[in-house]
Amino acid sequence: MRGAIETRELITVNVDGMRLRGTYHKSHGQGSDSRPERHESNRIGILFLNSGFVPRASAGDAAVYWADSFAECGYPSFRFDLPGLGDSDGDLPEKLLEFAGLVNAGYYAPFVAGIARDLTERFHLSGVVLAGHCAGAVSAIFSAAASEYVRGLVGLEAYFFREGPERTNVRKEISLLVARSKLVAQLSRVYGLLRKFASSLKRNPLPQNANLPLIRCCSRLVCSGMPILILNATEPRPNPSEFDYLSYLQRLSGRDGQLAVKFVEGTNHSFADDVGRTAVRRHIEQWLSSYFPLIESVRIAAVLSGTR
Amino acid sequence: MQTQADFDVNASEQAGYFPVAGAHLYTVLHAVQEPLARVLLVGSFASERHFSYVPWARWARFLAARRIECLRYDYRGIGESTGVFEQMSFDNWSEDVELLAAWLKSRSPGVPLVLHGLELGALLASKAFAANVGDALLSWSAPKSANEVLRTALLKRIAVDNIFRSSAECKRVADYLQQLETGPLEVDGYRWSSRLWRDAFRLELPDGFEDQSSVVPRKRPVRMVSLDKSAEPLVKGSAYVSINSDLSGLFADNFEWITRALAIDSRSS
Repeated sequence: MRGAIETRELITVNVDGMRLRGTYHKSHGQGSDSRPERHESNRIGILFLNSGFVPRASAGDAAVYWADSFAECGYPSFRFDLPGLGDSDGDLPEKLLEFAGLVNAGYYAPFVAGIARDLTERFHLSGVVLAGHCAGAVSAIFSAAASEYVRGLVGLEAYFFREGPERTNVRKEISLLVARSKLVAQLSRVYGLLRKFASSLKRNPLPQNANLPLIRCCSRLVCSGMPILILNATEPRPNPSEFDYLSYLQRLSGRDGQLAVKFVEGTNHSFADDVGRTAVRRHIEQWLSSYFPLIESVRIAAVLSGTR
Repeated sequence: MQTQADFDVNASEQAGYFPVAGAHLYTVLHAVQEPLARVLLVGSFASERHFSYVPWARWARFLAARRIECLRYDYRGIGESTGVFEQMSFDNWSEDVELLAAWLKSRSPGVPLVLHGLELGALLASKAFAANVGDALLSWSAPKSANEVLRTALLKRIAVDNIFRSSAECKRVADYLQQLETGPLEVDGYRWSSRLWRDAFRLELPDGFEDQSSVVPRKRPVRMVSLDKSAEPLVKGSAYVSINSDLSGLFADNFEWITRALAIDSRSS
């Protein structure tokens, strides 16, 4: 058994006595030389967090695909299992709802901050961009606000509300009915618009279940000028009256802000299908080259390495 | 809560890459000193891997804490292993089982080796066991054939595709099958090849392994366990409400079986 192959290396980071396990995707041109002193000299690294409770490969192994792609472009990429997930040490709650409660309270932020610091120092990076999907995006926002080593943020299907109580079967049935019946869907839309109008009259437009600490973190990051990319899948939503958190944050960001919001058509929440994973790769590559361009020699080395 | 003993066991977990033709298998060895037995854990398939991962790793830790060394891994082209999923076949995945079993056995040939599979992994483990690999077989929720596993995943995808469609717009199973006959079909982020679908009909449980009642007494012990939804998320549950259920009863029962079947004295641990 080997700990490293041509393109990847298995690594661990200890945070608070907890051994966290991850995979390092060597940037192209790096080859099999994994000596720290030869490492990624002042480049930005991409650090992927778990999508929900799924292991670090993510649904359909999409995170593996993205990490391979960005490493090929010249960005060293890392995927880590947070405490209790995948191969890492630590506990995990029994119920999904309890796990969501931890995520939404920022429980994982100190661990991610510890990983970001370790990777930056160990690989001589200029810092990391955090990339998270769904619950991973929530953890990424909390972590970015807690770490001086985070330089940018990519949130896929980020959400900004707290976990609600488990839905009853009756509510689930109603949601399905709304989704399937055009008439009920129209009535639901009208009801939603009325609610939206009523809330717009209030001084604080945020809904009651808004995750205020998370929104505060995100607002702080937006106002600090940190480059942020939010990617969402535009699949049909059963509830069109949902509060538009992204527009709210974009308004905070202002005209000169560095918050970019993009939508990907024809995919689903996981982005694991061909359309989703390709679009995510393309959007992030463009965003990286705008905000974190590689120096010319690194870019050429990556291109040459890729053509070999 | 994790105890100090848990942390000690976790510390002896060695992740690595195992070379096979054209790829590297991601492996995690739960190493123990002077093991009473060794177990090769052949996990569930593709997307089911993600949901069962946490209890599967906990099961390996449970065994390692009781001096049973375990090796778990990802199939070629899936998860942390390298290789292109679309190019893989059940033959590749069967070969993975045989190669890793041989490697694990070679660590100390005198120590008994158990093949242990979950869902599709149980099918692959049974196949290897029928070919005389391993000293015992422990099977959890073995399907009758690989097609049963693929069909379940396909039906789930179709249900998700159709959830927001009116009945007139809904696509039928036959439409998907037709597509699969002519080219790849993406299911849960994995591109299934036509060959994968066709071969799935041919990979069946060997005779005499259908369930515990059909197991004929043989020199090498076999246990076929059918898991119900109480074992969620090790097997498919209703909606993955539980992500880390207390499976200590299941674990203890199956550990007992291993020690009995191999006539090893677990008290010496």
